[in-house]
Amino acid sequence: MLQRRIDELRTEVRRAAVDRDRARVRALRAELRTTEQAWEESLARLDEEQPASGSATTSHAPASMPSAGDGAAAVVDGAAAARGGGSLLPLREQVHQALTLLAAPAAPKLVSAVHEAFFTGLIPSVRLTSLRRDEERSFRSAPFARPYYVCAALTAELLAPARGVLAVSTWPLDRRVIGPLSPRVNYLSAAIRVAESYLRIPGPGPAAQRLLWRLAANIPGASGGARNMDPARVARAAQAELQIHAAGDLAARTAAAARARRQLDDPEQLFGSRLQLTRQAAAGSE
Amino acid sequence: MTTLTSLARAQAVATGMAQPVCTRRHVHLSDRPLVLVPLALAGEANAPLAALVGDDPQAGRLLVVSQPRNRDRRFAFAADLARIVVSYVEGYYSSVQTVPGGRGQEDRIRFADAPQLLVPNPACIGFVRMLGRSTRFRRPSGEYAVDPAVPVLGRWLSYFAERAEHPGSCLLLAATDAVALHWASGQSSVEDLNLATLMGWIDPPAGMTGAAAAAAGEDPVTWPPAGPATDPTFDNEVLAQLIAACDRPDDDARARQRAEAALQAALMTQVAPTWRLIWRAIGLLRGLPEASRVAARWDADKDSFTSYADWLRDDGPPQARRDAAVAAARRLSWLERSQASYAAQRALDDPLVMAEYRLAGEAFAGTVTAAEPGRLDSSGRRRKLRPLITVVTEDSLRMDAGATLVSPSRPSQQARVVSMAVVPPPPGPAAAAGQGSAGLVSAPPLRRTEVVLELSGGMGRALWAEPGSVPEPGERLCYTTLTDSYQPASSFPDREHTPWTHGGPPPEYVPADEDASEAWS
Amino acid sequence: MNDIDAQLGRIRGDVPPLAHNARSIAALTSNPGCARRAIMDAAGIDKPRLASYIGFPAPFGQSQFAITRGNAFEAQVKANGCAELLRLLREQLGLPIPEVSYDDLEEVGGQRSQLVRHTRTRSLLTRAVRAGGDAGTLFDHPLLRLEVGGRPVYLEPDLIAFQLGGRFHVVEIKSFAVIDGQADGDKVAAAAIQSAVYVLAMRDLLAELGTGPEAVADEVVLVCPENFSNRPVATLLDVRKQLTVLRRQLSRLARIDSLVGLQPPGLTFDLELDQAGAPHRAAAELADDVHAVPARYAPECLASCEMCFFCRDEASGLTAALGRAVADDLGAVHSVQMALGLADGTITPADDQAEAAALLREAARLRRECLGATA
Repeated sequence: MLQRRIDELRTEVRRAAVDRDRARVRALRAELRTTEQAWEESLARLDEEQPASGSATTSHAPASMPSAGDGAAAVVDGAAAARGGGSLLPLREQVHQALTLLAAPAAPKLVSAVHEAFFTGLIPSVRLTSLRRDEERSFRSAPFARPYYVCAALTAELLAPARGVLAVSTWPLDRRVIGPLSPRVNYLSAAIRVAESYLRIPGPGPAAQRLLWRLAANIPGASGGARNMDPARVARAAQAELQIHAAGDLAARTAAAARARRQLDDPEQLFGSRLQLTRQAAAGSE
Repeated sequence: MTTLTSLARAQAVATGMAQPVCTRRHVHLSDRPLVLVPLALAGEANAPLAALVGDDPQAGRLLVVSQPRNRDRRFAFAADLARIVVSYVEGYYSSVQTVPGGRGQEDRIRFADAPQLLVPNPACIGFVRMLGRSTRFRRPSGEYAVDPAVPVLGRWLSYFAERAEHPGSCLLLAATDAVALHWASGQSSVEDLNLATLMGWIDPPAGMTGAAAAAAGEDPVTWPPAGPATDPTFDNEVLAQLIAACDRPDDDARARQRAEAALQAALMTQVAPTWRLIWRAIGLLRGLPEASRVAARWDADKDSFTSYADWLRDDGPPQARRDAAVAAARRLSWLERSQASYAAQRALDDPLVMAEYRLAGEAFAGTVTAAEPGRLDSSGRRRKLRPLITVVTEDSLRMDAGATLVSPSRPSQQARVVSMAVVPPPPGPAAAAGQGSAGLVSAPPLRRTEVVLELSGGMGRALWAEPGSVPEPGERLCYTTLTDSYQPASSFPDREHTPWTHGGPPPEYVPADEDASEAWS
Repeated sequence: MNDIDAQLGRIRGDVPPLAHNARSIAALTSNPGCARRAIMDAAGIDKPRLASYIGFPAPFGQSQFAITRGNAFEAQVKANGCAELLRLLREQLGLPIPEVSYDDLEEVGGQRSQLVRHTRTRSLLTRAVRAGGDAGTLFDHPLLRLEVGGRPVYLEPDLIAFQLGGRFHVVEIKSFAVIDGQADGDKVAAAAIQSAVYVLAMRDLLAELGTGPEAVADEVVLVCPENFSNRPVATLLDVRKQLTVLRRQLSRLARIDSLVGLQPPGLTFDLELDQAGAPHRAAAELADDVHAVPARYAPECLASCEMCFFCRDEASGLTAALGRAVADDLGAVHSVQMALGLADGTITPADDQAEAAALLREAARLRRECLGATA
């Protein structure tokens, strides 16, 4: 009986975990997954052979007790309902759209949020983790074959790919480097761009509102209280702080971009350099 | 005040079985308690995962949140739980009783009985408190509307959790606390928080010692933790897959149903053993005779329940977030005094609990050797009945002449210590009486003290004592400096000391919009 | 390698020492009188593995839900140049608006070796100390180093914020909630002592540059979710007390050589792993060696040390296993049997036990009286 085997395996794998027997845990987990899969398939076949039934089945529950509350299960899956029509564009194009709106390097979560706010279709940010690597492979196999690439932003000090940040290859190099002040500067300019888009696009939905609201919350003077959100005010406040950092940030980025042009080849200028210790010594003296 | 219970633990270790530390049951047990076994998702402040709830051991209802991070699902769970809990609680609205007003006060009405919630352990009381806190400010209308039953649930849960902090209150009980109050296991008090091991010591399966059953109770695979925390290996090896399966954006309704059923079955395995343990604990406790003062404390619980129901009906606002500082300090001193008076009541009700006070010299038990029941005190304007009795005891005493004592067997009578004198033991082989068999190494004979007491009150109005109201020679009884300072059930708690659930905190609390929309993510 | 290192190496066997982290260092403060634990921790023994192998697997484990939630919250607080954290620091510490500089020390251009990361951390922090306000505000995932038991241990706090005024603040991001201004006391205490470890490490690093300890604040910034949401809230934690306790415990650990000298020669906790990592040491013999080093079991061990079940089993029948309060009630007598013997008069008390014994006899008499002859 598959069900019993599943229970046995669950017990065994948990005991192996307590014993810290890693090899055994891995083996048991694998067997448990395949057994669960087989069970699911056999149930699915059974279900197909029968007419559709109503409420959640409790055939697996222990016999001693009537159980399964149905309230929580009967609630409509809010998440599914919210998913609108998918975009017809490939992922890289969707990311390109969002980054173009932002006009500055951004983290995957921000890219997803911007896309959800202003374009159709959702990008689950987990799908972005391998995008940069795929783009690099594509570039190296056929350099500049495509009109743009989703690439990395480079850290100013070491010209290495900045962790968790995406950029567009067609931007000038000094927009694709990250100095110490750049994360904050990019955040503020993102807020400005989002506020401007919010005003420009007719009928911004709740996703756009939420995004602007979240950005404004971390900018002094941008939010006027719990319910009050004024995009123009957000942009003004962001701009005001941006002035403070702009000059220092620009100087750092300009210098870093110049170094990158001197020291890095084309793929490295887009996707960053993998550091050698010797180069670190040279860069650290900047 | 714990030497006897510590000795009992030592005896439990030696015998392999738990030892009683009470001869009476000091908690009220409802005929129909509502048992709640909650589970929460690890890592969150209060993310309910499941609850098994019901007032019938054969018919528990399992509620499950198949997507614990989904706000809508959580509120659906809260709504389901609300329907069960609130209808259980409001069932007690249907019958009332009259409480005689007593001296100069009017009769009043209160509910004839009150609800009782039982959870496995103190951490689950914390869960109840948190769930109350996260739901009581919600609103049934407006932008973040929830089912109207949800805020009502929140208020009741917060009320129960607050009452649980009152020593002697039994509206919300943790099974481990209730059981550990009456039996000493052979493990530490930290380990007693595990209901499976505690019950293992006290009520092992046939053929097993308590110690062995307790050891078995520690294996989380066969005895899941009582909650609200789940076992990490369960989370990692079982729960994670099942929740992921429910999370898939499946358009196949039947696949979703299968996933939910599988999750429910797995969660049932994590709550059902604890459910059965709690009902067994209830059975064990019912086997003890109820202590006399339990009823009066339950009356106070009924008064409180009635008050709160009135407050709710009059649309009183939900409990505020924090006590004001002054109220908190007052509350703390009130709680300390309540704790002391609760302990005193248990001692007055139960000779084994009183024994701890005898050891400390705040009580003694002995035999009456002489009595002058008719003695009158003519020193004042009017003659008063003031019998004298002499009691001989082997307990050590730490009282002074003039101390006022009371006997549990005659609670309305006072006894004033006139004199105390050590007397030599009677001659003969009975010299080592009280030590059991002869031949024990270096057991000095017990010191005997003769105490003369002057009695007043509890004998009737005349100048002669009603029969039985004065102890007679040969009677064995106990006297103590402890008093039953518990407030009689007929008076409301003093407004000043009223917990904030009733009086509202200063200044007046106005629920804010932001409370209703507070994130529960 | 000096002599004590060699001895500890023999005790450990031919495996690298287990890496310490702030949590394990903090745990050192909780049972200072236990030689077994002190030696195992100094030698870097893999205690969970050892405990499992000799038949007493440890009850600890971490739920992936808790881990995921913790990581997600930390990521959120640090997102976008630590936008949310900046807001909190500005509100709580008065961090001036121009101070927003962010340095990521997690990876150094793809190199994750500890030495490289630590070197870069040192150079950046040095520059920050020398140059003042212009040279860095937020340092993400810095790698610090602390001498523990004579060996360097690498430590990674969540963040260090450098405030104008020349003082560094350690920032710790934890995912337990602060509800209506209150949080779980035990969790806050654990966070406090872990943060104190980082403060110590920072002070040591700065001391090498000739900078005094006041350059690292006694107050740590603890960031937690507020109420039931994901919104972060910051609290300042004063960790001076924890610093004192830690320094004392670390200095004890440094004197481990005397403790090791007391142990039987040839003592080893080696599992004798083969090439594939499978153990070959006879479990019973290994258990004997563990028994040979004295422990000091108390119920508190159940919450903090992976050897707890083994030591508890060893301590069964001792009053210490019942907890300090109970052991004191039983006259601070070592064993349960002895306590019961004093109580029923079958054992003669020593002079200094006379009073406790009298109390126990009286207690036993009272219990017998109330429960009848069966008691």
